[in-house]
Amino acid sequence: MAFAPGTEQTFDFRGRAGEWFGIWIVNLLLSIVTFGIYSAWAKVRRLKYFYNNSYMDGRNFDYHATGWQILKGRLIFIAGYVVFSLIVSLAPIVGLILLIGLVALIPWLLVRAMMFNARMTSFSNVRFNFVGTYGRSFLVFILLPFVLYLAFGLLGGLAFFITVELFPEGGLLVGMVALVFAPVALAIYDRVIKGFSINNHMLGNAGFTLDISLRPFLMAQIAALAWVIFVGGIGIIVTGFSVDAFVRAIEGLERGETSGFGVIALFYFLIFFAIIPAAFIYQALIRNAVYNHTSLKGGHRFRSDISWSTYCWIAVSNFVIAVCTLGLMLPWAQIRMMKYLSDHTHVTPGSSMDDFIGDQVAAGNAIGDAYGDFEAVDIGLPV
Amino acid sequence: MGTSSRHPPLEGVFFPTGSSRRAPARLVSRAPVADEADGPEDWVLDLLADDGSVAASAPLSALVVDPQLGSTARRMTFPDGTMFETNDHSGVEALVGRDRWSILHGLEQFHPRLIAITIAALVGMFLVYRFALEYLVVAAIALTPGPVIEQLDRGTMQTLDFTVTDPTELTPARQDEVRAVFANVVAALPADQAERHSFELLFRDAPRMGPNAFALPGGTIVFTDQFVETFPDADMIAGVMGHEIGHVIDQHGLQQFYRALGLYFLITMLAGETGPLMEDVLLEGNALLSLSYSRRHEREADEFGLRLAHAAGYDPFALRAFFVELSTLTGDRPEFLSTHPSSSDRADEIERFIEDELGLR
Repeated sequence: MAFAPGTEQTFDFRGRAGEWFGIWIVNLLLSIVTFGIYSAWAKVRRLKYFYNNSYMDGRNFDYHATGWQILKGRLIFIAGYVVFSLIVSLAPIVGLILLIGLVALIPWLLVRAMMFNARMTSFSNVRFNFVGTYGRSFLVFILLPFVLYLAFGLLGGLAFFITVELFPEGGLLVGMVALVFAPVALAIYDRVIKGFSINNHMLGNAGFTLDISLRPFLMAQIAALAWVIFVGGIGIIVTGFSVDAFVRAIEGLERGETSGFGVIALFYFLIFFAIIPAAFIYQALIRNAVYNHTSLKGGHRFRSDISWSTYCWIAVSNFVIAVCTLGLMLPWAQIRMMKYLSDHTHVTPGSSMDDFIGDQVAAGNAIGDAYGDFEAVDIGLPV
Repeated sequence: MGTSSRHPPLEGVFFPTGSSRRAPARLVSRAPVADEADGPEDWVLDLLADDGSVAASAPLSALVVDPQLGSTARRMTFPDGTMFETNDHSGVEALVGRDRWSILHGLEQFHPRLIAITIAALVGMFLVYRFALEYLVVAAIALTPGPVIEQLDRGTMQTLDFTVTDPTELTPARQDEVRAVFANVVAALPADQAERHSFELLFRDAPRMGPNAFALPGGTIVFTDQFVETFPDADMIAGVMGHEIGHVIDQHGLQQFYRALGLYFLITMLAGETGPLMEDVLLEGNALLSLSYSRRHEREADEFGLRLAHAAGYDPFALRAFFVELSTLTGDRPEFLSTHPSSSDRADEIERFIEDELGLR
């Protein structure tokens, strides 16, 4: 418990696989026996177990939502969907208007989900909060994707026009534009989302701040893309994979041919080695960059130093082990991943961690939470 | 006052209301003053800070005590928001007694009983996969608005046109001949089925796909130029059309799609977070797999197509001839490798079906 401001501390995850297995399997059985109803309580128990076992400076996190709140949110969500699809089936015109209303509703649901999750989470007896507004949420989740998509379409159209008009046998330019613009657009978008999430989170009355340029996002995109092109390229050259042969093989499968089996296996092989590690490279680089540029009022600074290769190895081997054991090793895999992430997440406190003060916020409502459950909204909490 | 405490004091730390300020504390219990008592068991708890001052005080019944969860620290919150945290699990249990959460905690212990729970959970998972999924799929299909499915068709055609298919190069006269067959086949549909779906026939030039025909969930049926050129026979075309219409009527495409999606939701709901890779594989890998129909679906569509072609006045034996021709064209492969029954097996089954069900020879 010895503690001095300015000394880096590392997150300490104390969950144990054996203990978590017992909780997890009971969660599973009760969820099945109750036709899914208990899964709301199971979620609370799961999050509480992981939060309670996450320590920093000897203080842990906690999750405060009740099973009823989660269940209520899910029921409201299901009822809303049923009513909506009935209306669309019976009166398509009304449905169309509703659909536009739904687009306007999504930013609100997302804000509610983040608010609910934040307020239901505490660290050292102080609740988190989320203070993002509907307006910002609309800009981030609706308008920006729309603008980026539009720009992509316009640029693509322009490139297509130039190709068709000036270089009839081209097509290269279209690909080039897509190749350059898509990573830039994704980098911009990811940065905006992360900023919206982190800058609007608070621990009590202390705000989080993400101060980061576009550069790390671009670099991560380039690194991931380079992996795909480099490894995929080598793979294609070495194995002689061809798209035409692949399409023919798929068609052959439809007709019941075996000849194309090798080509299809090769396709999955290439996906496995060229695409999956690229996704982990991106995630690892972005996690590190985001943590390293995040601070909490009071002079607390964060640092993450996960390595993409270890991260990738843990994720892939976890997956293989979980599948081979019919999912029974999943709890062990979850603990293993959590331990790795905690061991590589650090805080340099700027002042005493005794000084956080909560706002005693009222409990958020549960509709947003069920939505978050479906969309798996990343709420950007430490760890 | 003055009664000696019945329970040994609990050692831990406390946090004032809404504050992260942590300080060592002891929780001591004493019997209530007679006129304050809610009941004989309702101890009054005093939270004593290190300097001996009382940080909070309340009867046990007014405290919120978090249920036990693994070996995580136990938390008790006073009505004023002061929070006491201790690792003295047996001390807490002696104080607050056992409730239904304690039973749950008992079940979760690493104990031989857990083997029985594990087996029960595995059996349950299998039953859910085997039976519940089916009902979920039916419910989901019923809840999918028609316009959404038609929009799906349009989206798929756009993707295909962008990637593998080109505008047809069949002559208008040839197109009209095939369309006439299509009109006859669709006209032979029972009224209630015809009402629920709107069918549309499209032609596409697709050298990479070869002779091929496929149906989309919303009723779009596509024949490649290569198909019409390789199998010009109207009876064969009618048989294959009937087969594709069968996929649409029985909603095989949607069934496959929702099966994949339903499996994803079931697993994430039951197992909780599955980790970064598992999620992608479950969602996207499954969706990819769902693009091909299962063997059962193919047989159902074959039988539907035969009935329909026969009702429309075409020769059902042509579909059999089609599969025979197809198998000589492509060569067969072991059935277990494929989602499709092999062509020669299908030809045999078709022959049996025509003889037994349609009474033709």
